[in-house]
Amino acid sequence: TYLNDFWEKGRSDGEEQSGEQQQPRASPARPSFGKKQLPSIPKNAVPITKPASPAAMAQLANGTHASYGPFYLEYSLLAEFTLVIKQKLPGIYVQPSYKSALMWFGVIFIRHGLYQDGVFKFTVYIPDNYPDGECPRVVFDIPVFHPLVDPVSGELDVRRAFTKWRRNHNHIWQVLMYARTVFYKINTMEPLNPEAAVLYDKDVQLFKSKVVDSVKLCNSHLFDQPKMDDPYAISFSSWNPAIHDEAKERMFTHKRRPEDHQKGLQVSGLSWVKPGSTQPFSRDDNPPLS
Amino acid sequence: MMMASMVANGNRDGRQGEALVLKGVDPETCMIVFKNHWAQVVKILEKHDPLRSNTSSNMASAVQNYVEHMLFLLMEEDAGQAGAMGPILEFVVMENVMERLFLWSLRRQFTDDMKLEQLKMYEMIVGQARQPLLHHKPVLRPLMMLLSSCSGTAGPEVEAELVSLLNQLCCVLAKDQSVLELFFHTSEDQGAANFLIFSLLIPFIHREGLVGQQARDALLLIMSLSAENQRVAQHIAENTYFCPVLATGLSGLYSSLPTKLEVPGEEWHCLHREDWLQMPTLVQFLNSLEFCNAVIQVAHPSIRDQLVSYIYNGFLVPVLAPALHKLTLEEVMTTTAYLDLFVRSVSEPILLQTFLSFILLHRHENVHILDTLVSRINTPFQLGTVSLALFQTLIGLYCEDVMLQLILRYLIPCNHMMLSQRRVVKERDFYSVSAAKILALTPSCCSPEHSPPPLRQLDSILWSKGTDNKTEESFLEEDGSGYSCVIGSEIYLDVNYLHYLYNARLGISSCTRACQVWSAPYDGEDPPPEEYQPSALEEAGARGRQAQTVNPKRSHPHPRPRPPCPPQTTDPAPTNQLELEWDDSYDAGPVVPPEAATAESSRPPQPPAAEPPKHIQEMRRTAIMLVKGSYIEESDFQDDVMVYDLVAKKDEDHFKVSSLQEKDEVPLSNGLSLPPHPTNMEVNSSEVTKGSKEVKAHVADHNSNLQSPLATEVGDDLMDQYEELIRTLGSDEAGTGGSSHVKTVDKEFRNPVVTPMEEDEVDFSSFSVDTPELEKQHSSLFGTKLRSGSTRSHSVPFTGPFVSVLLSRLENMLDNSLHVNLLLTGILAQLAAYPQPLLQSFLLNTNMVFQPSVRSLYQVLASLKNQIEQQASTKKDFPELITSAQHCLLARESSLKGQDTNSGDSRECSPLEAGRMMKSSPPPQPKTISLARTEVFATVLFTEFLKELAAIAQEHSILSHVPMEE
Repeated sequence: TYLNDFWEKGRSDGEEQSGEQQQPRASPARPSFGKKQLPSIPKNAVPITKPASPAAMAQLANGTHASYGPFYLEYSLLAEFTLVIKQKLPGIYVQPSYKSALMWFGVIFIRHGLYQDGVFKFTVYIPDNYPDGECPRVVFDIPVFHPLVDPVSGELDVRRAFTKWRRNHNHIWQVLMYARTVFYKINTMEPLNPEAAVLYDKDVQLFKSKVVDSVKLCNSHLFDQPKMDDPYAISFSSWNPAIHDEAKERMFTHKRRPEDHQKGLQVSGLSWVKPGSTQPFSRDDNPPLS
Repeated sequence: MMMASMVANGNRDGRQGEALVLKGVDPETCMIVFKNHWAQVVKILEKHDPLRSNTSSNMASAVQNYVEHMLFLLMEEDAGQAGAMGPILEFVVMENVMERLFLWSLRRQFTDDMKLEQLKMYEMIVGQARQPLLHHKPVLRPLMMLLSSCSGTAGPEVEAELVSLLNQLCCVLAKDQSVLELFFHTSEDQGAANFLIFSLLIPFIHREGLVGQQARDALLLIMSLSAENQRVAQHIAENTYFCPVLATGLSGLYSSLPTKLEVPGEEWHCLHREDWLQMPTLVQFLNSLEFCNAVIQVAHPSIRDQLVSYIYNGFLVPVLAPALHKLTLEEVMTTTAYLDLFVRSVSEPILLQTFLSFILLHRHENVHILDTLVSRINTPFQLGTVSLALFQTLIGLYCEDVMLQLILRYLIPCNHMMLSQRRVVKERDFYSVSAAKILALTPSCCSPEHSPPPLRQLDSILWSKGTDNKTEESFLEEDGSGYSCVIGSEIYLDVNYLHYLYNARLGISSCTRACQVWSAPYDGEDPPPEEYQPSALEEAGARGRQAQTVNPKRSHPHPRPRPPCPPQTTDPAPTNQLELEWDDSYDAGPVVPPEAATAESSRPPQPPAAEPPKHIQEMRRTAIMLVKGSYIEESDFQDDVMVYDLVAKKDEDHFKVSSLQEKDEVPLSNGLSLPPHPTNMEVNSSEVTKGSKEVKAHVADHNSNLQSPLATEVGDDLMDQYEELIRTLGSDEAGTGGSSHVKTVDKEFRNPVVTPMEEDEVDFSSFSVDTPELEKQHSSLFGTKLRSGSTRSHSVPFTGPFVSVLLSRLENMLDNSLHVNLLLTGILAQLAAYPQPLLQSFLLNTNMVFQPSVRSLYQVLASLKNQIEQQASTKKDFPELITSAQHCLLARESSLKGQDTNSGDSRECSPLEAGRMMKSSPPPQPKTISLARTEVFATVLFTEFLKELAAIAQEHSILSHVPMEE
């Protein structure tokens, strides 16, 4: 299996440009007065003293300028994504779509239990009034046989765990955690798939065999084209040494790299403060000034 | 004469021709020729001893001819087998040819011309011989004799040639260190254990032009030699005056710099390259400084440390410190600009450290240089602007020590925030709340809705309108068309904000990377606030001082500079607070109206310990006189302006202060006409509403009390009372119950666990605990951890003079000239980009609850918004003016991009320029706007600054929390 190593992509795009530029520490260039960026003014601009249109005023909401709303949303979701990265959830991988930060592609690997060896692709849909709306939805590409998964739509019943989505308290990583947990701890209360629920309670053996069939079915579609035509959709392909060996190599060596890197890195900052002290120039290796 | 002409030919075409001729000739023939020539020369030398008889010019030119040929033969000779001498060289050594020739020259009149000849001769054979010559004493010794005879008085030509030869010898040394020993040995033969070629170079260190450059290059070669060779290092450090000469030379060169700069315009604030290239003396100084920098980079640590120490004790302390305290504003301003340039020119960390420890720790007449520099930010004159520029440079160094002294040490104790807020320091702003609050301060006359959408259409941000009107069914559509993403074109997006985001990202990333070398994260936990409470600090400082003085380093001619002293301003005595404020804000340097000195009676109580220098005291006294009775600490920001206004008026004859003329119109509000303080935040939970109203009332009470002359006496008590009040409220709130449950849940999910969790144990029901959401501030404000008020009551929260002075200048943004505002906002944006949570939370977190006496950036911004709205409502043509100012600034930006030199600054800014920049468009506004309309320009700038800050806040919410990779 080959995954885009999206863990290194903190953000879906624009990441590459950012890191390179570094100001030489030695003699910091003085930013000229032209630093501020002014909005360009269109031709024939006439100052408008009243709102340009009623529609524009309608965009004002919550006392803030609605025009920045998309930026807040985008950054809220990016913040959520960085939280997911920090959690290092076992067996779960997600990646925001290229087209919208409100849609995340994911895949979950079940490593033991009833659903062992299951590889389920899913999509997370985040409401556009996030974080003030409903909780995000999780929809499996193929409806897995599970009491809490709708047998037609493939949607997981997430809402039962997050009856009310609360900003600052609830985070998307929790939803992902939940999506994983349902496969280890079966709950049959108020099922979306009553058949699965009944079977689990009444005839576990049959339930198990149905699960095995379902896992097989899902895995047989693993190499299908992604459902969504999106550059960042997760797609699987069979092992191709020409491509994947190198990627694997990189993944295994990756862990060691950051430290090696830091040692050799020419850092531009300065410090002569002894750790544990708040006195400037307290480090012992300071040259004496007399 | 004789050899000079020969060498001149030899170096150029002559030698080439000869070389070609010699190619085919066998060595034996060459040897025979050489011997013959020598025999002829010897005959002449023996017959014509210059001391006994006059040497005829015929004889001299005969010798010249022979020697010319001989030297060619010597140069062209290859080394023998296995590195043995070639036969000619062997002969030269055996017969002591070189020494005899030198002595013969010496016995004649040893004129500059003769020296020149000899020097050139050696330069030629040293540079071009095919076998090593200097290993042989009979060659080396006459050379050393020649060199020492050239030291001292000599004409410029000889000097040039001498340095050129020395440079060549150093090159040989650098390539072949075995010669080094011989250089020392020959010296010893002469009695003194010196390193002649080095000593001879020293007088040329500070020389300008080619000679100086060659000498410095040669010295650098020896310096890098010293890094590997202990003997050389030791010799230079102990037996030569290299370091003192270098350092005191800086002092000498500095003294020839102009004491007052001819400033091109009001906008000027720092010495750019094109500025100093016009000043030969400054170029020369920078050359020498650069040389010091290079020496420190390559030399042995013992030399390096010695040089650094001499620069500190021989230049910075005795020369630069007094220069920073000269008598006129122009002189002080000039020195500040020099210091800024020097700091920017130095690249070697150790040398930079020397400059920085001078700035941060040195005390001149008992006042830290840093404090003096900080206080000057507040001068309304160009000195203020130049000082700002210096701090921009300092902050741009990403230096922990600088940031510690300037700001962080005041934030570490966390006394500037309510105690319960400490855990908020590290919290992240998930939903861009702070950015939204900052942007909400956009003045209505500048809101994006009021200006037509920009020319550049947004195409880079894509976002989905999502599932607003979608039903569950369409949500599940197989083709996913319900989720096809829509460009948010129907909503006006500020494209220009994208650039701010991008710049913020660059700024924060590079700053974060730079700060990886810092000793602590400054996140409110490390360094632990408890250990750095003002009282504890004092002890630690005293201890540190002792430890420092015990340090008996090797004896150098100069005394050790004062060891770092403990931060002064953390002195907790509340009665001194007023004094400190004065120190911080009112050192306008030398502007002392003479009549002030008589006002002894009104002299305020002096701080017991360090007496500030006289001019500050007097300045302070004057200022107090001028605003007699009306200066109260809590409202000092407004009064700053007034003081300076008055001072400026008094000195109008000397200084033209046009920018302050309009001041009278601005009503001076001594009351706390600040925007609502965060402590008075909206309260949603009904339980606490009543209590918080009480708090509000009390706060207001206290504030009005603080304005009375009694304020300083009772302030301390009030702080106690205030704390007490909050504490009782807190316990009441806890007593009502209901919230404790919420708190535990908060704890669990607000700080998500970072370690990978193995599942199954998680109780997901806890995610959806159905409790009313409590505003964060309340749970924390009236939270559990409130300490008894006793410990803190002794220290009045203070975020340091630098922050205070910056905010105070920002508060006056509408009256500041454009360039001052550009510098100010630039510095604040620079500070905001630092990743340390203490700094970030103080500058950008709009949810943070600070102590009532602490002024935050957000408060200042809010008050500015009010000022602007007021202006806009009273001036009819304000929107029109704003558009003109925007055009003017755009034109300015474009022209700055186009040409780096911005010397010609006109007071009038024509939108015609803007029109020209936007090619196809005709000039949209026929009106010009004068830069004197500072409030208009400030309004435009303010709006942009809000975006800049908001963008930084947004990027922090992502960047500061992603583990650093690569």
